[in-house]
Amino acid sequence: MEKQELETIIGTLGKRMNRQLKEYLDVCVRCAICKDACHQYVATQDMTYLPAHRAELVRAVYRKYFTKAGQFMPAVYEARDPDEHLLDDLYRSTYACTGCRRCMYYCPFSIDTQWVISAAKAMLIAAGRGNEMLGQLADAALFKGDNIEMFRDNLVEGFREIETQVRDITKNPEAEIPVDRQGADMLYVALAGSHSILPAAIIFNEAKASWTLSMFEAANYGFFFGDPDKARLIAKRFMDEAKRLGVKEVVITECGHAYRVAELFYEAWAKERMPFKVVHILEVIDRYVKEGRIKVDPRGIREKVTYHDPCQIGRNGGIYEQPRDIVKAIAPDFVDMTPNREKQWCCGGGGGIVAMEEFNEVRLKSGDMKVEQIKATGASVLACPCENCRLQIGELNEVHDLGLRVVPVMDLVVEAMGFGHAAGTTGDERDAAEAVV
Amino acid sequence: MDLFSFLVSGIGVYVALVVFTLGMAWRVWQWMRTPKSPVRLGLFPKPKSGLGRFGKLLKDTFIAPQSVEQAAPLMAAAYAFHLAALGAFVGHLRLVHEFTPLVSILGVEGMNTFAAWSGGIAGVVMLLAILFWIGRRTSGAYKNLSTPEDFLLLGLLLGVVLLGDHLRFVGGLHAATYEAWFASLVALRPAFPPALAASATRWALDWHMLFVDAFLIYFPFSKLTHAIGAFTGNLVRSSD
Repeated sequence: MEKQELETIIGTLGKRMNRQLKEYLDVCVRCAICKDACHQYVATQDMTYLPAHRAELVRAVYRKYFTKAGQFMPAVYEARDPDEHLLDDLYRSTYACTGCRRCMYYCPFSIDTQWVISAAKAMLIAAGRGNEMLGQLADAALFKGDNIEMFRDNLVEGFREIETQVRDITKNPEAEIPVDRQGADMLYVALAGSHSILPAAIIFNEAKASWTLSMFEAANYGFFFGDPDKARLIAKRFMDEAKRLGVKEVVITECGHAYRVAELFYEAWAKERMPFKVVHILEVIDRYVKEGRIKVDPRGIREKVTYHDPCQIGRNGGIYEQPRDIVKAIAPDFVDMTPNREKQWCCGGGGGIVAMEEFNEVRLKSGDMKVEQIKATGASVLACPCENCRLQIGELNEVHDLGLRVVPVMDLVVEAMGFGHAAGTTGDERDAAEAVV
Repeated sequence: MDLFSFLVSGIGVYVALVVFTLGMAWRVWQWMRTPKSPVRLGLFPKPKSGLGRFGKLLKDTFIAPQSVEQAAPLMAAAYAFHLAALGAFVGHLRLVHEFTPLVSILGVEGMNTFAAWSGGIAGVVMLLAILFWIGRRTSGAYKNLSTPEDFLLLGLLLGVVLLGDHLRFVGGLHAATYEAWFASLVALRPAFPPALAASATRWALDWHMLFVDAFLIYFPFSKLTHAIGAFTGNLVRSSD
């Protein structure tokens, strides 16, 4: 390895060093309690995916360049250079990690392996070894955000077509999808594609909410890529939009990481206090159901329904009960998975792994526990408020022939509002709706 | 005191205590001077009040119920070892001063019997826990994950405990004998009392102290800083 490359990698780790990272690197006792907490390790029994091993690769470099003890006795600490072999291992273990933080939950010292992983990704990016696909997706999102005027007309045209669908479904000719509405109470940040706009628009219109739709999407590949600057810039676009419009709440759609980025990370990255709250769409819908602002049939969903806690809004975001309350309000035959809430198994689809084909094998294998959990419920519908989880569980559904309907919670709500299946909830309709935006 | 005794049971004790104290202070200072993570790293659910968070911090650190759920045998060994080590530490305070209130309750013989049993049990429990940990690190994922540091620490602990157990079960010397040696250390004039100097088990004390010294000197530069890191890590888990 060339000296300059080495210095770049070490310098990057130094820049990412903070109190928590330093403590995590210093105190791990390698008890390996985390091994049985990680869905990837449990499913594959491959050391690459053992959380303490993932961190140990960063720790080896940390020991060599950031501790006197490691420099004095490198053999004792297995202190190492970030050579080609280490970087190869680091790449496989790092980008495969879904960031579910189940290992942290079970760790007796609460070591946040994902936080170590974020430093590992920074090292890989510095070495020119960041995941290409995630990097391209992040850059594409930045390009789109920087050149929004180029896309504006097409986007607005797409929104108008969805608006027409909303009017058809609700039989309400005044239903609308407002864009750029100054002074609206809420800015709704959706995903690319109409499937996350249509059901929300139906619900907002029925609740007579004061809302406006963001021109920007919630997904944040900068976060998955491991570049906080890119992640901040991607989120900044809708945060700035919210400030400009003077909204009281930014409502993030059913997307796990987007909610965590906006609610838990953005202010720290931007070093700025936002003049509005960040909420998850299911918090809003739960409010509407409980306040009676939308009418739902308590027996609207007749099938047996279960709920998947996405790691980023559950264990890492704190939203456990609102989605359950919503589902229970419309589906009398609700059954929870075991384990659930903070102990929920990751489905295996987080961290951007669904976008990286090279990890397909481990991704699908790592869904084994989720498959068993779902089978044990006997449910035929899975309510799932995260796009990546839905993609993963959808694929598991096909591979394992589970015969499951995997749907966003808000789609189930629309179903229970008596409009029939909302466009976007069935495969064909969703494909058609996707083509709109 | 011969040279070896002087080095390990005399001057070595001071060196170990100084390195341990300054080393731990330096380690904590290193942590404290590094800026905190800019983003919130807590896990949910978490208590809403400060008192609740403090309670959870204590529970997560001293009981770690979620770790028990995941790895009951390991955590049982950890509980047993840490409690026994605490007991052994408290028992060693007899070297500073006799536990007079206990003696007045139990009587001199009763106190000696109690000390023999409690110290013996603590020593055996620690030995079993260490053997369990060593065994655990010799196969499968645990072996692959282990580094020389893990075995070095277990080796040092094994030395401390084995020789401590030897002194407890074979040595046959009364606490008062060790108390006199300890008093000489406090007075900065380390010397063995005649009974200890003439004892056939003096070598065991010297080797016990060699391992203790090495363990204390190594402590601040090892993963054993989890003694403090467990609190700070678990605090972050529940922090806002």
